Amino acid sequence: MNLCLSKPENADENIVYSLPFNLTRNAVKINGHFCVSKEKIFVYTDNKLQSEYFIREFCEIICQQQVGSSMVQGITKNGETVYICGFSQEFFIRFAELCKIIDYYIRTGEFITETDDDEPTCMKCGMPLEGAKECPYCSKKSRTMLKLIKRIAPYKRFFAAAVICTIMSELIWVLMPYLTRLIIDDYVTPKSYQWTGFTSITASIVVLLIIAGILEYINMKCSFKVALNMGKDLRQDVFKKSQSLSMSSISKKTAGEMIKRISNDAAKLEDFVTANGKDAIVKILSLVIIVVLLFVMDWRLALMTVIPVPLVFYITDKLFQKMAVCYTMVWRNMAAHSSVLHDILNGIRVVKSYGNEVREIQKYAECSEKWAKSAVRGEMMWWLTIPVAEFILTIGNFFVLYFGGRMILDNEMSLGALVQFTTYVAMLYEPIRWLIQIPRNLADTTVSAGKVFEILEEETDIKDSENPVSLDIKGKIEFDDVYFGYKVYNPVLKGISCAINEGEMIGIVGHSGVGKSTMINLILRLYDCTQGEIRIDGVNIKNLSQESLRSQVGVVLQETFLFDGSVLENIAYSKPNASFEEIVKAAKIANAHDFITKLPDGYNTRVGNKGYQLSGGERQRIAIARAILHNPKVIILDEATASLDTKTEKQIQDALGKLTKGRTTIAIAHRLSTLSSADRLIVLDKGKLAEFGTHEELMKAKGVYYKLVMAQRQTTKMKKAVVNV
Amino acid sequence: MIEEIYDVDKLNILDCSKLKFTKENSGYLTLDFGGRIYHKINPTRLIPFDSKNKFISISYENDEKEFREIGVIKDIKEMSEEQFKLIDTYLEYKYYMPEILKIYSIKDNMRGSIFVKSDTTSGGKTICVKDWYQNFKLFNGSYLYVVDADGNKYFCPDVNKLDKKSLQVLEMFT
Repeated sequence: MNLCLSKPENADENIVYSLPFNLTRNAVKINGHFCVSKEKIFVYTDNKLQSEYFIREFCEIICQQQVGSSMVQGITKNGETVYICGFSQEFFIRFAELCKIIDYYIRTGEFITETDDDEPTCMKCGMPLEGAKECPYCSKKSRTMLKLIKRIAPYKRFFAAAVICTIMSELIWVLMPYLTRLIIDDYVTPKSYQWTGFTSITASIVVLLIIAGILEYINMKCSFKVALNMGKDLRQDVFKKSQSLSMSSISKKTAGEMIKRISNDAAKLEDFVTANGKDAIVKILSLVIIVVLLFVMDWRLALMTVIPVPLVFYITDKLFQKMAVCYTMVWRNMAAHSSVLHDILNGIRVVKSYGNEVREIQKYAECSEKWAKSAVRGEMMWWLTIPVAEFILTIGNFFVLYFGGRMILDNEMSLGALVQFTTYVAMLYEPIRWLIQIPRNLADTTVSAGKVFEILEEETDIKDSENPVSLDIKGKIEFDDVYFGYKVYNPVLKGISCAINEGEMIGIVGHSGVGKSTMINLILRLYDCTQGEIRIDGVNIKNLSQESLRSQVGVVLQETFLFDGSVLENIAYSKPNASFEEIVKAAKIANAHDFITKLPDGYNTRVGNKGYQLSGGERQRIAIARAILHNPKVIILDEATASLDTKTEKQIQDALGKLTKGRTTIAIAHRLSTLSSADRLIVLDKGKLAEFGTHEELMKAKGVYYKLVMAQRQTTKMKKAVVNV
Repeated sequence: MIEEIYDVDKLNILDCSKLKFTKENSGYLTLDFGGRIYHKINPTRLIPFDSKNKFISISYENDEKEFREIGVIKDIKEMSEEQFKLIDTYLEYKYYMPEILKIYSIKDNMRGSIFVKSDTTSGGKTICVKDWYQNFKLFNGSYLYVVDADGNKYFCPDVNKLDKKSLQVLEMFT
């Protein structure tokens, strides 16, 4: 990332980083520069030095984002916060990165002079890149399309067959007007009764039509084979890649976005290849052939046909632009209408219980009317545009008919030749219509292709080392000065150091958002820490093979996800080759066997989205059975009993007790009472490890943990009081 | 140590005559409220789209980094001119949002983004709006709210007061 965008005039020569800023504290626009050397921070306004600070005076530099502006603040060693400069949001990511560098320098004494983070925005168009290396809007269309064409390679024989068939059928269609001309000039105009010649030409036309039909059939078959297979390959490759990407890459995209890329974008490319792949070659070829034929037949008439074409391109493009906006509005209003409908019907109980039916009917009617109005407008525009565009496109035909007709009257041209000529002119319009549409189709497809290839070409940031170790994990886990943030400028964990012994049960406690789940994500290596290291049995987890690590760690989360399938399949998910006996044993240990037996189809009962509705506790016990079957060396319990009632929690606690026995266990729970069996507790506060010890030790220390316990006791008392009332 | 009692369930409408704000070095404000001094005060507009001056929440973060609201000012215009200016300036900075004065053209790149060539209170600018269905919105038929690709916000309090050409340009996109 470029952190030296521009320097002030006469700037200090030791300045390494310099970013412009544009706001005063009074929200007035200024031309300022925030500059950093190894020793100092300089603030310039209008190229004049306004203030300077020694970096050593600060213990932290913060980039604070507000609603419409942001600011850089420094926290001095005596705890005072100092405002340094303010700016609008376009500079935020760069300032955040720079603050991180200064912060790192304050902490470690190491001054980084080169940053390797990606540029936040495209230097050409200014659009945010959102982690992509190449701007999907500016990337060369030809390069993206070339990548798409390369994907046809495995089906090149079918593609070649489709192209050959199309070329042949196009040639037949080019031949047809000539045969028509022969019939008109040799038999119709002279009123000739030579049936042999007439019959042979007519028979040739019929045979050629049959051949064209066969060729078209082969062509369609081959084209669909290429396009559908290419679409299938793309979808599979994108899905495969999405599974191998790190959590940080996956988290940048929503599930909906990933689904859209796997299905919609790939489908768009598939459609483009079906509709335009071979057409690109054939249409251009037929355009050239027809233009040559027209000029050979009569260059003057040919010119009349071709001259309006550039104008047609210009005008139709403008008309289509207007149309596109119109249809976007229709689409937008339709989406808004669906959203309102969805909202009202989903919340029908709330609507009815507050007696707001009339208000909602009115709201829906307004929405529906807006949609209808925009749709009418769109249709009116469409039916106004199409005849105009068509008229402009075919205007040359009128000239051809007028002048061609005069040439016939002057005996300069035969009627058959004019019919042949006008048929070619009509045939010329088809590739031209296609060419008019192609920039729009190409633009649309390039964006889809760009998005699909972005995933396919993304390098996963969590990779196995060159020679990864496959370790038989015993269960000792060490955090050594670990720093981590989901966003580089916002560290969640700061300098965590602790050691968890083999077979120990550790509870992690702290306020919401303090980094408890993040610690777990780091142990699972779903993310890599930005600084420091995590060791399992003395081996840095970056050197462990991911497969070896994850196959020996079991996880039970608060939200249990059951796949669409049977209870049996869901338990066996962690060990697909497990015998039925092993599965039942696991279910028994998890206290799940009894309720599964009562289900209508026992272990074959379908669960998941479309299956039997299980209660939270039942789902959780299936998840525990899954973890037991996995036989992990390290167990992670992330709020495993948070959403359960006390009776169910007891059953789950029993099951968890059996699961965690003798295994290193790390548990997160908001309800501190659920961590009563923990050997030691890690207390996180503001991203730092505040306390680490047994419950008794921490209670005696009367620190953060003590406060948390007291606060929860207070809440429990209040709840009891409410119940008693 | 006296523990502070924080009533989360009470709306405390503040009496403007008892408030005295001053600027502090941190970029935030200091409040003297009935003799008690609060630092790092961060005023917030509770209904930013409806009013810039009404219902301003006065809050700070305590040592535990917990949100603490002192109360709500019903209308900062009821404060003295000097105090009003101080808070208004702070809010204008926090909610820095240039006003759109004129729209020359809107170009759609047919890929979900639009480029709005406009005059704003911070000068002429082509505002690049990504995913414009979400980020280029008209509230209550008149308030235009725009968030550009960098996260900068722009607004027009009443599009109906814009010139005829701007309205024509806007028509297709609102």
